[in-house]
Amino acid sequence: MRKYLRLLAIFYKNTLINELEYRLNFLSNMFLSLFWLTWAALSVRVYFFHADSIQGWTYYQTLIVMGLFFGMNGYRQMILTPNLSRISEYVRMGTLDYMLTKPVDSQFMVSLRNIGVYNWGDPLLGLGLVIFALAHLGVWPSPMQIVLFVVMLVAAAVLLYSLNLILQTTTIWLVNVERVDTLVQGLLETGRFPVNFYGGWVRAALTVIVPVAFMTTFPTQALLGRLNSSTALISVAAAIIFLIIASTFWRFALHSYTGASS
Amino acid sequence: MSIQVESLTKHFRVHQKEPGLAGSIRSFVRRRYETVRAVDDITFEIAQGEVVGFLGPNGAGKTTTLKCLSGLLYPTSGTVQVLGYTPAKRDPDYLGQFTLVMGQRNQLMWDLPAIETFLVNQAIYDVPEAEFRETLDELVALLDLEPLLKKQVRKLSLGERMRCELAASLLHRPRMIFLDEPTLGLDITAQQAIRTFIREYNQRTNATVLLTSHYMADVTALAKRILVIEHGKLRYDGDLQALIEQRAPYRLLRLTLDHAVDSADLNALGTIESRDGLEVTLRVPRGSTRDAAARALSTLPVEDVAIEDPAVEDIIREVFEMGEVNA
Amino acid sequence: MRKLLRVYTALLKANLSEALEYRAQIFLWLISSIFPLVMMSVWLALLSEAKQIAGWGQADFVSYYVGMILVNHLTGSWLLWDWDDDMRTGGLSTKLLKPIDPFHYHISGQLGWKALLVIFIVPVIVGVAVLSPLVTFPLNFLTSLTFILALIFGFILTTVIACTFAMLGFWSTQVRNVYQLWFGAGQFLSGFIAPLAMFPPAVRSIAYVLPYRGYLGFPLEILTGHLTWPDIEFGLITDIIWITIFFILYRMLWKAGLRRYEAVGA
Repeated sequence: MRKYLRLLAIFYKNTLINELEYRLNFLSNMFLSLFWLTWAALSVRVYFFHADSIQGWTYYQTLIVMGLFFGMNGYRQMILTPNLSRISEYVRMGTLDYMLTKPVDSQFMVSLRNIGVYNWGDPLLGLGLVIFALAHLGVWPSPMQIVLFVVMLVAAAVLLYSLNLILQTTTIWLVNVERVDTLVQGLLETGRFPVNFYGGWVRAALTVIVPVAFMTTFPTQALLGRLNSSTALISVAAAIIFLIIASTFWRFALHSYTGASS
Repeated sequence: MSIQVESLTKHFRVHQKEPGLAGSIRSFVRRRYETVRAVDDITFEIAQGEVVGFLGPNGAGKTTTLKCLSGLLYPTSGTVQVLGYTPAKRDPDYLGQFTLVMGQRNQLMWDLPAIETFLVNQAIYDVPEAEFRETLDELVALLDLEPLLKKQVRKLSLGERMRCELAASLLHRPRMIFLDEPTLGLDITAQQAIRTFIREYNQRTNATVLLTSHYMADVTALAKRILVIEHGKLRYDGDLQALIEQRAPYRLLRLTLDHAVDSADLNALGTIESRDGLEVTLRVPRGSTRDAAARALSTLPVEDVAIEDPAVEDIIREVFEMGEVNA
Repeated sequence: MRKLLRVYTALLKANLSEALEYRAQIFLWLISSIFPLVMMSVWLALLSEAKQIAGWGQADFVSYYVGMILVNHLTGSWLLWDWDDDMRTGGLSTKLLKPIDPFHYHISGQLGWKALLVIFIVPVIVGVAVLSPLVTFPLNFLTSLTFILALIFGFILTTVIACTFAMLGFWSTQVRNVYQLWFGAGQFLSGFIAPLAMFPPAVRSIAYVLPYRGYLGFPLEILTGHLTWPDIEFGLITDIIWITIFFILYRMLWKAGLRRYEAVGA
């Protein structure tokens, strides 16, 4: 365990050393993050010019969902894209071979080896937007609600990781697929708005088949005190189940990669 | 025996792509697969401390064999035992005892100095600080890395990079070293540096070294024993020198002539291997090469002369044509 | 000229072959046309409480966003990323050694994909239009031709704009970010975030003279039958003006950039 923490420290220290060289990149990416956040908040405003509430959600409540989406997207670009999306590259370049000959868990390497430092601000900006929206609503969540909120967020992060891992693991067989990341990004985009905005069957699909609702809508509801306990339990259960499925699938894929099943 | 391989076989299914646009559309609709026998029933044993060369043309199965020994590939059939472990199980204890270095494939971090990758490997292999420092100093001295350590890897030449790659892979003092085409793409000086290092390292640490190459020079410099693999089959397993002398008891005399000469005159010196205008190559028995060269210079209008060993490819091709050879 | 045609044919064939290799990739590219539908859902949610917004009903919004998937795929391009990659990896140097302008390599890559998209996406959208009563594209022969013309102009516009920004790569490393800023801001005025009809008249007037509308809102409004002939003529002329402006800018920057490139080295 300590070895893995030590490895993480070394990996991220190295990335930071590397990227701090490019100060201009840092600055411009920070600025871009701020731009996209403003863009997101304004684009939602356009819809609310025509109504005060949509499906029971007011502008500032919707902003909370938007802020969480921004944070989730930031997490995806910091942790998931620099790692899981490179699995097909690792296969092509022989890097996966090197990983497999080292006495370190391959799932660990493939999930946490890199970090996208340019998006470090996104989770913070997203959180900032959430706080901003709460301030405008004048409603502050109770400690219990905050705890529930954090639990839901962690469940969402684990769920997103697991889904990503499952999708990216398929690139071990379909070596030329580069658009998997786009697919995930596209699906996550639906998390910009509360899942109630979507019509009946779409909402169902986004809750059950592709659990985007878990990513942003449910944590928001936790914060606003509108989450019922069964949904919370299902979220946690789903996160754990998908994590197990994803890890198992990864091991299965490695088995296949080493030709064990052929 | 450190390495025991018995009846190792490895097959792959490969997708066939046809050329041209029509072919692309056809393979879009239905894919065709073919089975490639990369390794076909190979058996050998290697003792600790040996330096063994795997020779053979490209695609012969050398790299596949090495990958089976590293646990990267699961054999289709047959058994592999290294240091008492089954590599395919990838026991972490086993992983900490060997190293695989692939020529032209980097494990060094590109934008940072090599020393940073060394530190990462120290953490990965859990090497205690004192031992790490000692090993590092030794490797830096042997490979002459002092001036390179602080430079970014992408700024190093190919030869310098390879030396750093080797160092990175030996920091955990593995007992088993697998080198896959380590000198590929390097210039002569770099190649020689690598070979010298490997020889010294093997003598110091008694680590077993398995080396694949399609450069004869790699193998002649390092390995007493070679395994010749062609089309997945083991064609020869034994002493290198013995093979050369047995299969190629001759050397080549290359002459550049001033003007054309009668074949009879050339035949007096040796068998004509090839003749291309004024360039003649003669086969001459090993012991009498110097005499033959001297006679050529005195009796023929020779402008330039060179004495060469026959090409490995030729020796090996003859080995294949003869079928399997016993050492 | 004939040589150029031959080069294009060869490049197109190679690119198409390459594109066909990636079966799964194509599938995913198609799936990622999701975002227009996301925005559409929000409007439909809004509509559930009001029968019409700015004179648009359910069918109007659905047709608009389904049409957007089509238009987006047909006029969009990732030319800028191609150029940027080339400049940073030194691929540009290799291309400069060839006797044709590097532009042709990049554009043939885009056209290769466009051909594929036309084959796959157009039938799907047409199918949806035929089958669903909500999706109507009220086109006659003349407006169909105009629509296709607007699409071509839109593609050319995206292309010259991308090239212009790409040229900044000779001076700056932040081109991708700058392009995102420009593009992102433009999404409000192109008809992406919301149909331009949803904006107050002042904003709409501004949007009508800016280039953003040319590659999305304009062809889309023709497709969904929201434009009259004077509007269409105005739009086409605006397209032509912006294409000319950006083309000139692109070529100027190209010449200046090349000089700098050759002076400074890759």
